[in-house]
Amino acid sequence: MYVGVDVGGTFTDAVLLHNGQILTTAKIPTKTDLLESILEALDIVLQDVDIRDLKRIVFSTTVITNLIAGQKYDKVALLLIPGPGLSHKLYDFKTEVCILSGAIDYRGREIVSLNEKEIEETLTRLATKGFKKVGIIGKFSPRNSSHEKQVAEIIKEKYPDWQVELGFQAGPQLNFPRRVVTTFLTCATREPYSNFVNSVRQALAKREITAEVFILKADTGTLPLKHSVELPVETIFSGPAASTVGVQSLTSPDLTEVAIDIGGTTTDISLILNGQPLLSAKGARVEGQLTQVRTLAVKSVPVGGDSILERVGDEIVFRPERLGPAYCLGGPVPTPTDALRVLDLTGLGDEGKAREAMESLGTPLGMSAVETAEKVMSLVVKSITAEVKKMFLEWEQEPAYRIWELLQKRKVSPSIVVGVGGGSEGFIPRIASELGCQAIIPPYAPVANAIGAAVAKPTLQISLRADTEQGYYHIREDGFQGKIDRRSFNEGKALELAREKLLDKAAEYGLEVSPEEIEVTHQEVFNMIRGWNTVGRLYDLTVQTSRGIAVPIKMGGK
Amino acid sequence: MRNSSDKKTGLIFFPAFDWAISPTHPEREERLLYTRDQIFEEGIMDLPQISEYVSVLAKTHDIAMTQFCVPRVEDRVTEAHLIAAGAAILLADEIVSGRLKNGFALVRPPGHHAMRVVHGNRGFCNINNEAIMVDYLRRRHGIKRVAIIDTDVHHGDGTQDIFWHDPDVLFISFHQDGRTIFPGTGFADELGGPTAYARTLNIPLPLGTTDESMLYILDNLILPILSDFKPDFIVNSAGQDNHYTDPLGSMKVTAQGYARLTEKLRPDLAVLEGGYAIETALPYVNMGIILALAGLDYSYVREPDLQTFRESSDLTGYIHRMVNSLLQQWEKRDQALPNPKLIKGNYYERVKRIFYDTDGFIEEQVEKLRICDNCPGYLAIDTEVNHGYGLSDGKALCISVPFTACSSCRKEAASFYEEAKKRKNYRQVYLQDKPSDVFLGYNSVNGQEWRSEG
Ligand SMILES: [Zn+2]
Ligand SMILES: [Zn+2]
Repeated sequence: MYVGVDVGGTFTDAVLLHNGQILTTAKIPTKTDLLESILEALDIVLQDVDIRDLKRIVFSTTVITNLIAGQKYDKVALLLIPGPGLSHKLYDFKTEVCILSGAIDYRGREIVSLNEKEIEETLTRLATKGFKKVGIIGKFSPRNSSHEKQVAEIIKEKYPDWQVELGFQAGPQLNFPRRVVTTFLTCATREPYSNFVNSVRQALAKREITAEVFILKADTGTLPLKHSVELPVETIFSGPAASTVGVQSLTSPDLTEVAIDIGGTTTDISLILNGQPLLSAKGARVEGQLTQVRTLAVKSVPVGGDSILERVGDEIVFRPERLGPAYCLGGPVPTPTDALRVLDLTGLGDEGKAREAMESLGTPLGMSAVETAEKVMSLVVKSITAEVKKMFLEWEQEPAYRIWELLQKRKVSPSIVVGVGGGSEGFIPRIASELGCQAIIPPYAPVANAIGAAVAKPTLQISLRADTEQGYYHIREDGFQGKIDRRSFNEGKALELAREKLLDKAAEYGLEVSPEEIEVTHQEVFNMIRGWNTVGRLYDLTVQTSRGIAVPIKMGGK
Repeated sequence: MRNSSDKKTGLIFFPAFDWAISPTHPEREERLLYTRDQIFEEGIMDLPQISEYVSVLAKTHDIAMTQFCVPRVEDRVTEAHLIAAGAAILLADEIVSGRLKNGFALVRPPGHHAMRVVHGNRGFCNINNEAIMVDYLRRRHGIKRVAIIDTDVHHGDGTQDIFWHDPDVLFISFHQDGRTIFPGTGFADELGGPTAYARTLNIPLPLGTTDESMLYILDNLILPILSDFKPDFIVNSAGQDNHYTDPLGSMKVTAQGYARLTEKLRPDLAVLEGGYAIETALPYVNMGIILALAGLDYSYVREPDLQTFRESSDLTGYIHRMVNSLLQQWEKRDQALPNPKLIKGNYYERVKRIFYDTDGFIEEQVEKLRICDNCPGYLAIDTEVNHGYGLSDGKALCISVPFTACSSCRKEAASFYEEAKKRKNYRQVYLQDKPSDVFLGYNSVNGQEWRSEG
């Protein structure tokens, strides 16, 4: 049996699954204490279950989002080793930043060495200012992490109680500014996040739950709970990931679909292309700062069932705020839900009050309640469909750096619009017809997010880079560096090495991965020619365990 | 197009990682690999001043309206060429429409050695990305005057050839002296055709020229001439092989020099040309150019082995004298009389031999420009490739009617085309009618005619 729990901003949802069947669901208001919410939802779905039958629990929580938004962390200083390139004056990381001498180039060669005296002086200054948490981030550190490691060694010697995070681990992709932000967030959240993880583990132990526990990431993969403290930021924005995986499991595989989660004041949109949730090309934007966190390409539109409707001049507009429930449900102001009630697209609330709400908006404009409701409907539908179209366009316009990539670019259009979340029912058919799609509101749509958490699968990734001229290879995720034989090393060996590393990592994480499940997601080979001779080859490849869902849910759309 | 508002710099990065002339050729897959690493690692694409675009394929019509590909466009270009030309067109479109401040087509393959008639690859180029884009702007956006500043170490002989007779396109190229480098042209006395005198200007540079003289030429020759000429659009053929580490060139220009040049020149669109120091120059020079275009501080961009270069006072003096003499040519641009030796009946005529270094053959051309009092006159080029041993693909006739042609020249060119079709002594006959944006091609072997229009 599997359990999925999604802690959202307003509600916490949970489901219990067995062989793809949904046995129990729970929906409770989220409390200030996230742990309390998790346990309450868990207790409901586990009521009549022998916990020894429970194989797996997956959580999707807002804990990281809340920590970052509320800035509930100690101050963090950044030690940057940017070297030449972009002007250092252009960096704005909104915290204490110290620039250190030193530089590494694109092939991982040292251009400028570190200056130990300068490092020591910097550390003394930080100590005086009371910093105990530091991120060390070098430009091109994923190609050579020795500078970051050397600075960390010095800190370990002089200030053994400091918490140190290294850029090449937190942000292993090529993008220095994003690596800095990702490392900062990792450094800031690790301790409070660990505390949260510990309290979850204690609470589960108290209930004698021994099932494997995972946490959902923004890219729809899961991580074993205890390993999630290594990269806490990856668990940010797991809510939309949960809903999207839920949609994926509730509809037929291989479809191109739009998943729309209409909530109280926001609507989250994500795309599933040929059965795979679309990842954002770069990384998540967190509180306005760009990171390297892999995430779904999700767009949020500030409109929902409880948005405030107002009349401004001759126009009806909505405001992205909530003053309470819909007018027809006893709320203070007209909302889109009132429009749905007037149009008979929902059974919720009092029809008379809904008419009253629409009339208060429409009468001064010479419109009847039904006309006003229609107007509101089209406003909501238009703002959502415009965003959907923009997302497809953005996907088509993602850059391509190879001829074949550019030539295979084509227009893709969805065939299905799937609605989940509380406010979907009334709007989805109209949104779908506007997009020329079929509308589906799957059974269990209100808890699709918890279902998604329950069926999400672990994903592990290994990126290998080998430079035969310099005679070494390098694993991006853990900074491991090994020697290779310049002459005999080839693409087959590179792949073999990467696969082995992935299986090792899976074993370390206690995951069963069969070699056939390993996908190659990136593969690049360049001959290095100097003069007219081949002096070496560069191999860059990424392998990962297959994305997808653990079990499809046994029921189609209605 | 001089609008220094808060608009962004458009960037198309198309390294064509799956295209090479041959595995060990300088134009190979690896060329922009380290540049990619550098601009990705610096987070350039995330900067609020930068907007990254994805290229589109140029249409064969857009190429046919500028260059005569023999026998047809499809035979002379691959998708990689269409993507590179498409990048320049797309960015130019966005800039002229006011959606971008300026742009950089950081693309390969390059184009500035591709001439008006194309029989194959010359100097790593098949089609001329800048020329195709410039003519596109004139046809689609009514742009009148364009300046192309070529800062590659090799003379931009293809671009020069295409606009030689065009008084509305100013072409200025500085490059290593043609006596010491491919393509062996670009001397100071190459000053444009009889109707476009001094609209072509060449500054051959001695070996070892540094940032100092390059910027002297910019400040004292190029910028003053640009302010006289008042172009609607400025293009920079941004070759990077003047860099002190380039394996093909022998200049001493640095990334800072290139950035400063870009900042002062303020091109609307820069298009990458050559540059083959793929590790030691390109990552840094490209960074410098991008930052300068975006109006950002580029002072931290420096090569790992940067040194201070000094020129001899002889070199500096030579440059100063050449700048002065070219300024004088520019001053008398409207009084210069055509060389009477060029006049053959109703035409100015010149005979050209063009060497295709990549494919190893010679093209022979007779180029005739109709003398007309009312317009720059249409152009008719007789072309034939000689593979040696008397082997030839047969002759082709290429007729090009300029944008500002008078109606009688247009009529005459059209009937010239029809007559040549009948005469059968040309294997192909082509007509580019730029005022109406129509291209006609005729194959006399099978009697087929094809037509495209914009
Ligand atoms: Zn060149
Ligand atoms: Zn005329």
